[in-house]
Amino acid sequence: MQFSSALLENAVNEFARLPGIGKKTALRLVLHLLKQETADVQHFGEIISKMRSEIKFCHRCANVADGDICSICANSMRKQEVICVVENIRDVIAIESTQQFNGTYHVLGGVISPLDGIGPDQLKIESLINRVQKDQVQEIIFALSPTIQGDTTIFYIQKKIQPHTIRITTISRGIAFGGELEYADEMTLARSLQNRLPVESYVANSH
Amino acid sequence: MFHFENLTLVQFKNYASATFSLNERIIGICGNNGVGKTNLLDALHYLCFTKSYFTRDTSNIRQGNQGFRIEGHVNLFDEKEKVACILRETGKKEFLLKDEPYTRFSKHIGRYPCVMIAPDDIQLIIGIPDERRKFIDTILSQLSSEYLQNLIIYTKILQQRNSCLRSITETNNRDFSLLDVLDEQLMIPGSYIFEKRKIFMVGFLPLAKQLYEDIARQPENISLFYNSELMDLSYPELLKMNRAKDLVAMRTTGGVHRDDLELNFNNLPFKQVASQGQRKSLLFALKLAEMEILKNEKKFTPVLMLDDVFEKLDEERIGNLLERVCLLNDGQVFITDTNAIRLEEKLIKLKRPYQMINLNND
Ligand SMILES: Nc1ncnc2c1ncn2[C@@H]1O[C@H](COP(=O)(O)OP(=O)(O)OP(=O)(O)O)[C@@H](O)[C@H]1O
Ligand SMILES: [Mg+2]
Ligand SMILES: [Zn+2]
Repeated sequence: MQFSSALLENAVNEFARLPGIGKKTALRLVLHLLKQETADVQHFGEIISKMRSEIKFCHRCANVADGDICSICANSMRKQEVICVVENIRDVIAIESTQQFNGTYHVLGGVISPLDGIGPDQLKIESLINRVQKDQVQEIIFALSPTIQGDTTIFYIQKKIQPHTIRITTISRGIAFGGELEYADEMTLARSLQNRLPVESYVANSH
Repeated sequence: MFHFENLTLVQFKNYASATFSLNERIIGICGNNGVGKTNLLDALHYLCFTKSYFTRDTSNIRQGNQGFRIEGHVNLFDEKEKVACILRETGKKEFLLKDEPYTRFSKHIGRYPCVMIAPDDIQLIIGIPDERRKFIDTILSQLSSEYLQNLIIYTKILQQRNSCLRSITETNNRDFSLLDVLDEQLMIPGSYIFEKRKIFMVGFLPLAKQLYEDIARQPENISLFYNSELMDLSYPELLKMNRAKDLVAMRTTGGVHRDDLELNFNNLPFKQVASQGQRKSLLFALKLAEMEILKNEKKFTPVLMLDDVFEKLDEERIGNLLERVCLLNDGQVFITDTNAIRLEEKLIKLKRPYQMINLNND
């Protein structure tokens, strides 16, 4: 692609670095912005950079937050004694969209996979165990990928919290979730939250 | 009941574009060295196993081209179905049955049971244990998709466990809680695989021994047995016993991935003492036993592919073999030979309809 302006070229290259955006789409987006009022584009840029520089991660559950604690953890209407354990923030958004879950979350940041250099220490596991010890947690619901690594993560955490008598369940794993949670339709996801299984029975059936 | 009716190759190995109609149950394929006899068989192997018998996908693209396509029409219990394997320019492989792409290729395994005997298969007798495990796993996977699934899961957990051992040893971290979890995960498919292999061997080993004796036609003292540490130890015991060793080696030193099929001749390892002809006879015995088992379990006969099997066999043995695979066996058989006249003579003797495919350009 030949550009007659370095400013234009730089902007296109930056857009093209985003996931799912090729050079052509990037050019289309940049040309669109070029047609807008300068102030509007200024506003657009500020929103983006403000989002990145001011966003925080909840000290409690590692979800995105505007302050030290996210809006879900801060909401006294939600059952603080129920924790849904997910891999990433996208999963939180997907489950929230079902409007069927009234507990809190814990965002691990991935699943255990020694092959990929991800051990328990790279994930927010210790903080989860601390929550279980400190707060009056009654149930932990795992909503992790239906993969071997997802299983490993569930078993590992389960062992660590075994001394505490709490209910440990997993949402039924026929549906795609974890990284693919956003593709699961809301009805299916809502249903699988309702029909969750105790972890022991899941282990016995899975292989 | 199960046979190929035709095969179309595009940019596959030495074939730019070619179609073969396969009209008979017995098919001879002849032509000089390098004309593409083995390649044709490998294309059929692709349609049965979603992959090559010999190499990785990209080596099978015709030099100078991008991507390949293999397509065939299969007759399965009088139903015709189209099957195709496509390697895209991007390197992505697609496998389609009746124009429907598979989401998991492993689901196709076992639909078209198939047994190949190729010259390099002698490694099954003289090579490392991996060759024999792969042989056994190929049979069991065709018989049960659950077995294949367990094998895939076992391999994945094994890799995770090996990485975990490495990271514990390298960081000198004495926390074994993750390793404990992986041990428990590994035992589930591991025990399953061991049990299935054990049961399988009970039927398979005596059959292979019997077939060997049929081929040899004289008493020879051979013994075959399944060798697994799990015969004496349970999975938890084995992993516990090996843990210290595993941590030093940074890999899992015991388990079903170390099993072997032990082949003995006069109580000594077969590869040490048996002659070339005896090795080859044992190879046939193992493969024919595979045929037999697949046929009994599937209730229909697998396709058999014999690549260059006449080399180093005397006339009598060739006769015996052909009789067994063409007359006593009712499935489709492909036989390759460089010598068109020799092959034709042998096929005529069988007094059955056959088809000759001559790949030479004359
Ligand atoms: N990727 C490829 N692209 C082009 N040609 C290939 C490719 N792979 C293999 N070939 C050619 O295919 C030929 C080998 O074919 P094949 O092994 O089927 O021969 P064959 O008829 O079985 O011979 P033989 O009698 O020696 O066993 C060789 O000439 C080789 O160069
Ligand atoms: Mg050949
Ligand atoms: Zn929070």
